[in-house]
This record gives sequence, C-alpha cells and structure tokens, in this order.
Amino acid sequence: MRTRAFRSLPILLLYILCILCAVAAQAQKRADPPGALPLGELGLFPREKLSVEIDLHGPLLRLIAGATKGDDPEFATMISGLQAIRLQVFPLAGADEATIKARIGRAVRWLEEQGWVSTVRMRDKDSEVYIYLKESGGKIVGLTVLALEPGREAALINIVGRIDPAQLGRLGQRLNLPQLERVPTKKPK
Amino acid sequence: MNRKDDGLDCRQALLWIEPSLDGELPQGDEALLRRHLESCPACAAERALAGEIQRELRALPLPECPPEVLERVRRAGAQGALVVPFPARRLRMALAAAVLALTVGGGAAWIIEIERREERASSEAVARATAEARFALAYVGRVSRRTGLELRDDMRQRMSVPAESQ
Repeated sequence: MRTRAFRSLPILLLYILCILCAVAAQAQKRADPPGALPLGELGLFPREKLSVEIDLHGPLLRLIAGATKGDDPEFATMISGLQAIRLQVFPLAGADEATIKARIGRAVRWLEEQGWVSTVRMRDKDSEVYIYLKESGGKIVGLTVLALEPGREAALINIVGRIDPAQLGRLGQRLNLPQLERVPTKKPK
Repeated sequence: MNRKDDGLDCRQALLWIEPSLDGELPQGDEALLRRHLESCPACAAERALAGEIQRELRALPLPECPPEVLERVRRAGAQGALVVPFPARRLRMALAAAVLALTVGGGAAWIIEIERREERASSEAVARATAEARFALAYVGRVSRRTGLELRDDMRQRMSVPAESQ
C-alpha cells in the first residue's frame, strides 16, 4: 500500500503544480504594472462622491484603438500603447478642502517614495497641480496628475503604459472643450 | 462396512487414514484408528496402500520451474512491489490522466473565458469607452494648459514683464 502511495505521489505533485501555474499566470496577469497607482490604498477621494470616474483597461483600450484607427490615427496610436487610463474628479463644493489637500499631500509623498519623478509642482492660492512621471528602462511608463482647484474640484489622473509626453500634450490640446463639455456620467458600480 | 468393538467403524477409519498419514489426526483419534487397524485387516490393507502411494508420490522428482517465471518473480521481489493486475493499473493511470486533463483544461478554459468576457464588449461600450478616453486625455490637456498659463503668468510676474505686452 505504501509503495502504491509513493507511486501516486509524482502524479499528485504534477497536479498541484499545474494548479499553481494556472493561478500564478492569472495573478501575474492581474498584477499592477509599474505606472499604475494603487487607488484603493491611497484612498484619495470617497468613490461614492466622485462626479467623474473613468477606469479603462487593456482589452478595452485595444478595442478603442481599433475603433478609432481610421478616423483618428494619432489618438489610436497613443491608446494602443496604454494599459490603463484612470480619472477621478471630486467636486469640492460642500466638501472639507483641508482634508482633500492633506490627502493630496500624502499621495505626493507616496509618489516620491515610490520613485516617481516630479515634472510640475505648482502651488498657489488658486490651485495646486502636481505632475509626476514613472520611468522604467529609460521609458515613461506612467503619468500621474493631481490637481486641486479650491471651491471647484480636485482630480486624479493616472495614465499607465507607453507614454509619449509630446503626443499626449498634442492630443490634450486638440481634445479641448467639446470633449470636456460632454462630461460622462458616473458609472454605476 | 462393519462396526468393530474398538469403537470405530470402517467408514470412519477410512476417512481418518489420509489425515493420519499426513500427521494431522489428533492423538486420541490416532489411538482409536491404530486399535481399529490392528483388528481390521481390510482397513489395514487400505492404510498400507495409502502409505505406499504417498511414499511413491514423495519420491517423484520436483518439476522444474521455467526460468522466465523465476525471473519475473525475482524482479517483482526486488522492486518490493505488489503485483497489480494490468487492467487495474491502467485504469488508475487513465483516471489520473483524466483528472489532470480536466484540471488543466478547466483552468485554461477559465482563463480564456475571463479574457473573452473582457474583450466581448459591445460596440456601444466601445463608443462610450472611446468618449471616456478622449475625456480623460482632454482633462490632462486642460490641467496642463492651465498649469502652463499659470506658470507663464508666474514667470512674467517674477520677471516684471507685463502680461499684456506678450
């Protein structure tokens, strides 16, 4: 009986190994890329009070790139290199601005501790804007924008993937007010 | 078959002859049988014949075991394994393979299904996502533009250059 058990052991180990491989592959696939912010961990804005929440990921971005390739090749090229686009806009009307400011300050410290490079740090009485870039292997793999307009809104933007700042700037300029006026409604979660 | 005065009839005596020859008869029965044989020549003759047959059988040479059978037994002994009937072993292997295939296949199907579900977005969802992506990029543009303007104004103030002259 003992011998029979020992003979079955390699099969059992192989079986366990296969399960572990499948789980590891799935976990690897789900692991956050280097330019992604752990939004839940940072806890910047309460999600139920966001006026805009956009969270687009890999497969959907590839579909967007495919759908816009014909009429907007530059936009499609940019999108095809991205892994995630996340935007959170939090209205400050009636909110505790000091708390939000403190959270943004904490997020800025976190970014610096994690090796993000500051590109723009602008603080005056009217607004605060922080733009950080994450580099990996000599390439930009993440962009984070934290913005606060007192009395109006605070925002977090996290773009993950292969980013060309010049291209992003061009697109940002071109995708002007007509896009911004069509504010998407908050997605039901 | 007649009944003797020794307390054992011939039918019973004949049944006991074989165990007696093999030394398997209890002592009391053996004594009874011996007494019966002393007084019954027919049974004694049967006993003598049975003894003779046994002696002759034991004198026969032992049959030779075929070498391949000996080798097989030796191999099984060396492995210390129980000899499992072939069909049972194959069945066990087939079951293990089936469970393995089901697990691996199921796992792969599960992963593929997750990927497909993510990619199986409707055209409306893609259009909506496109609008959201454009909106997000436009928001980046707005923040950077505003920052640029404010930075420019700040620089102007610092350099005491009137903004109107720019």
